Amino acid sequence: MLPGKAAGCTGLATDISDKILSEPLKHSDFFNVKELFSVRSLFDARVHLGHKAGCRHRFMEPYIFGSRLGQDIIDLEQTAAHLQLALNFTAHVAYRKGIILFVSRNRQFSHLIETTARNCGEYAHTRYFKGGLLTNAPLLLGPMVCLPDLIIFLHTLNNVFEPHVAVRDAAKMHIPTVGIVDTNCNPCLITYPIPGNDDSPPSIHLFCRLFQTTINRAKQKRRQMEALYRLQGPEGLGAGVQGSAASPSLGA
Amino acid sequence: MARSRLETVGSVFSRTRDLIRAGVLNEKPLWFDIYNAFPPLREPVFRRPRLRYGKAKAAIQDILYPEDRIRAKFYSAYGSGQKAFDLFNPNFKSTCQQFVEKYIELQKLGETDEEKLFVETGKALLAAGVILRRVGEARTQKEGSHVSWESEPTGVKPQTVLEKNQPLQEVPQDQHLETSEEQPKGLSPP
Repeated sequence: MLPGKAAGCTGLATDISDKILSEPLKHSDFFNVKELFSVRSLFDARVHLGHKAGCRHRFMEPYIFGSRLGQDIIDLEQTAAHLQLALNFTAHVAYRKGIILFVSRNRQFSHLIETTARNCGEYAHTRYFKGGLLTNAPLLLGPMVCLPDLIIFLHTLNNVFEPHVAVRDAAKMHIPTVGIVDTNCNPCLITYPIPGNDDSPPSIHLFCRLFQTTINRAKQKRRQMEALYRLQGPEGLGAGVQGSAASPSLGA
Repeated sequence: MARSRLETVGSVFSRTRDLIRAGVLNEKPLWFDIYNAFPPLREPVFRRPRLRYGKAKAAIQDILYPEDRIRAKFYSAYGSGQKAFDLFNPNFKSTCQQFVEKYIELQKLGETDEEKLFVETGKALLAAGVILRRVGEARTQKEGSHVSWESEPTGVKPQTVLEKNQPLQEVPQDQHLETSEEQPKGLSPP
């Protein structure tokens, strides 16, 4: 999917595309995702509320701060760290024009998730997930189908409180995943888990807003970078380096 | 594109990296460089969830505050607060919360005896206009009202109607007495 390999005509085109792709990886927070949320905003959106202690999954224990009168409270410091990594990864994938798929099987928020995906220009699947959708894609979807490059789970469990099939299938098909894991979910197979509440409306609204903003920001950054390098053209790949060093500080 | 569908073996990243190294996978996937630059805090390796047996327990602590002692005493003495909790308002203070804050204020002024503090906080809140009804008082009030209610119908209504009405009246009275006794018992443990 690298545009450099697709073009192949001039060495200059590959240079520019390599520069465009490699430049963001040098900065720790190229898209400045840290400013989009804070521990206080997570608390106000009730992200720290987990299920009761009896529903707890064993592998979620490291992410739980404690239990207040039987209800698990998720450690928001860890959540903030995980969320920053996950949003950063999503932004980079969107910057490289990757296909992102939002998956959730919670009917309460399926409309919200579909509108979020439409606003980003990405895809969503909030209906019944057919068995071989990822593993047997050529048969179910058609011969030349590109699988998603990133799957974002807003609810890792399906309607019978079992792990969603897509978690295991994405691991099988080498697709990285980002997912919001509640205290009753299994975070093992998810590449970038975000421990947090997936049942309250304010919490899911916050996460949808965050994903939408990051993806839009990343795509806008990509357009800016391409415009910048096209303007610079053949003269200044050296000047381009200085120019691009200035652009991240402008933010988006 | 070559893949190894073994999700239980290593992480997505380790399998892709080894396939590339072996030369089976020719193109680097889109996310590979990004994962390399920004790896997650824990590598997403599969683990089998095993149950805990015997006396092994999770290492998760209960969250308790020193104010919880005051709250426990409040609820055992006064039962559930008369004012309903308004959860729409983020700065809402319930009767119990006001009690706790007053108690801590008086404690800072220098008092040490717990019972004295308790009584004084109660008086301060009553003076401020907050209604506090003790659990014991509620019980006696309800029993008294039922006693007076019992005598009236039997005196007024004729005998033929009495024979039908008495079993009907006895049952709801018993239920009322039982519920009034159960309510304070149910509310006292915090």
